[in-house]
Amino acid sequence: MGGWLYRRRRFIPYLLLVPGLVWLIVFFAYPLTQVFLASFWSGSVQQGYSFSISNWTNYPDAITPVLPHIGRSLLYSFAATVLTLLIAYPLAYTIAMRGGRFKNLLLFLVVAPFFTSFLLRTLSWKIILGDDGVVFGPLKGLGLLPEDFRVLATPMAVVAGLTYNFLPFMTLPIYVALEKIDFRLVEAARDLYAGPWRRSGAIVGALVGGVLAALLAMAFDWSIPITAVLAASFGAFVGSVFVSEAFVRITFPLSLPGVFAGSLLTFIPAMGDYVNAEFLGNPDTRMLGNVIQNRFLTQNNFPEASALSFTLMAGILVVVVIYTKLLGTEQLTNSRI
Amino acid sequence: MSDQPLLDRPVTRRAVLVGGSLAGFSAFLAACGTQGTASSPTPGQTATAPPAGTPAATSAPPTTPPVRATYSTELNWANWCCYLDVDPADKTKWKTLEDFKKKYGTTVNYKEVIDANEGFVATIANQIVAGQDPGWDIITVTDWMVARLIRLGWLEKFETANMPNFVANVRDVYKAQTWDAAMAYHAPWQTGMTGIGADTTKTGEITSVKSLFEDDPRWHGKVEFLTEMRDAIGLSMLALGLDPRTPTRDGADKAVALMKRAQAAKTVRDVKGNAYTEDLAAGVAVLVMAWSGDIVGLQAEAPNLKFIFPTEGVMFWTDNVCIPKGAVHKGTAELLIDYCYVPENAAQIEAGVAYVTPVKGVQEIFAASADNKALATDPLRFPPAGLEPKLVPFGILSDEDETYFNEQFATVIGD
Repeated sequence: MGGWLYRRRRFIPYLLLVPGLVWLIVFFAYPLTQVFLASFWSGSVQQGYSFSISNWTNYPDAITPVLPHIGRSLLYSFAATVLTLLIAYPLAYTIAMRGGRFKNLLLFLVVAPFFTSFLLRTLSWKIILGDDGVVFGPLKGLGLLPEDFRVLATPMAVVAGLTYNFLPFMTLPIYVALEKIDFRLVEAARDLYAGPWRRSGAIVGALVGGVLAALLAMAFDWSIPITAVLAASFGAFVGSVFVSEAFVRITFPLSLPGVFAGSLLTFIPAMGDYVNAEFLGNPDTRMLGNVIQNRFLTQNNFPEASALSFTLMAGILVVVVIYTKLLGTEQLTNSRI
Repeated sequence: MSDQPLLDRPVTRRAVLVGGSLAGFSAFLAACGTQGTASSPTPGQTATAPPAGTPAATSAPPTTPPVRATYSTELNWANWCCYLDVDPADKTKWKTLEDFKKKYGTTVNYKEVIDANEGFVATIANQIVAGQDPGWDIITVTDWMVARLIRLGWLEKFETANMPNFVANVRDVYKAQTWDAAMAYHAPWQTGMTGIGADTTKTGEITSVKSLFEDDPRWHGKVEFLTEMRDAIGLSMLALGLDPRTPTRDGADKAVALMKRAQAAKTVRDVKGNAYTEDLAAGVAVLVMAWSGDIVGLQAEAPNLKFIFPTEGVMFWTDNVCIPKGAVHKGTAELLIDYCYVPENAAQIEAGVAYVTPVKGVQEIFAASADNKALATDPLRFPPAGLEPKLVPFGILSDEDETYFNEQFATVIGD
């Protein structure tokens, strides 16, 4: 028996792959094929469906009326990705570089929200962001906000929900990347006069802040010039005061694989998400995920729902390929060190 | 105008239902008034004889249903919010279902899972088409949806021989439905109105349905519409002076344009199903399209909320209990439906839900009771005859028109 197994030991890796492959075939490849075939169906639940290649018109029929939703999905997911990055990077940096003996506890706190359900976490934002809730109630009481100010049922609430829900997906990869950095490189850079960034920092900070804020302002329907100017000033301040040249030349480039992974882990699920838009938004903030959910579960329109699902998948694939080409981890890690 | 026999009017079946409900209602009052059978009810027994002249009265005298040896120990019922009486002793329980359990040993898994007709039926459609258990033994849907489900063959036929109280006590006006004249697939659960729900301390006096579409600082950003197409388009048509009894595509276009204008002006906060009650209770919405009984249910917690009967009228509809195809506890479901048609039990439910009951004898029980006397004259539970022209049912739509209306309305919902 042992000898028989030993002679065939080169097959063992394939044997070990079997459970994973079966799982993938049953729960990924098969359903995906089904959904793809369903996108070429015509008919209804009541009358049954029939497959025909000539039903490719399902695609344009399904996509044309939801172009605004697709636009919103892109905009909100992008905004959420940028915001998670802005929040997660300093957070991960602090934990990795300054965490000390609290490192594990801090990491646990980042992951702790995952111990409750996604749905509950999202619904709790309805309470936090409530019109007269814990945040806005006191501010309104002090007269700092107008009485009819609200965040719920606006794009801002949807983006806030997305940002919050996907924050750990951004934080953890960046943390891992930062943690791996050999700090002696930074020390060497400092020895070689890589001090505070000053003027360059102010310029780069202002540019980055201004451009990102202008894009966010589009998502939130805010005044673009005012937001951009405020954010540019803030960016210039941060760039010149807090950022050192050692960070720009060593730490940040080395952490880019984490940023890259985190951005994908945030952007992709955010594109397909419908829970945040459903509970925190209103009809003007519905995303592509809501449309797909509605076509599948409310209208039972499987052909259009499948066509939209496949379009979404293909779209994300294109975005990811472009992103990989521009910021691919291979070149990054190879060229910088 | 009430001299003309309402049931003979050449109008839609909905108008027949509504008109009939009031004419039949007064006839019923007269009948019960002379018989006075409800004055000394015995608990657990049917006390009310149906009005004279009802064929059912002679053919099927009301009795307690034959107690069969085996009822299932569980039953699954999907319903809307605010549609059953809360147990005063334990607010997490339903009094009627507790009583039912005591009597028959059946635990009813009663879930307020229905937020909108289309959305709910979609959740059971696949199981029904595949011939599987839909997961519910009783579902509660609006009359137009019942008509559709019957047409699709998605409902189980009642064993009416086992439902003597239902046969005897359903009010006559409900028997005129063309889509189920024999009442073998549906039992009316509650009839209600769609009007305006408002926190009048914030909005001031509201009288017209037009207020829903006006931009006013008092309710800017705090208006909510319903996702039920017939309610939302119906109220919008009333605001435009159009008649929802005879809905046209042109009317739908205008109604949708009216709603979209209000949305564009950011007057509207959201478009919701039954979940609008949460926003209204929380005070983040102050002026909404609302279902009559819901508001009464909310008043216990938020007394400043009012259901407003707009001068233009209200939408009028009936929700029905049905047994979906493939339900595993059909016999017990029939037993429970029949149980709810015992007038005393119906009165107990009605005291808690504030809609119009389809069961005979309830008003008399209220009138004779010490605690609930006022309910007998509550216009939300028993709309007075003078209100009849203002109770507007949505007209019948052809399949093509229904699709068209839904497509137009989808732009309001945003999906």
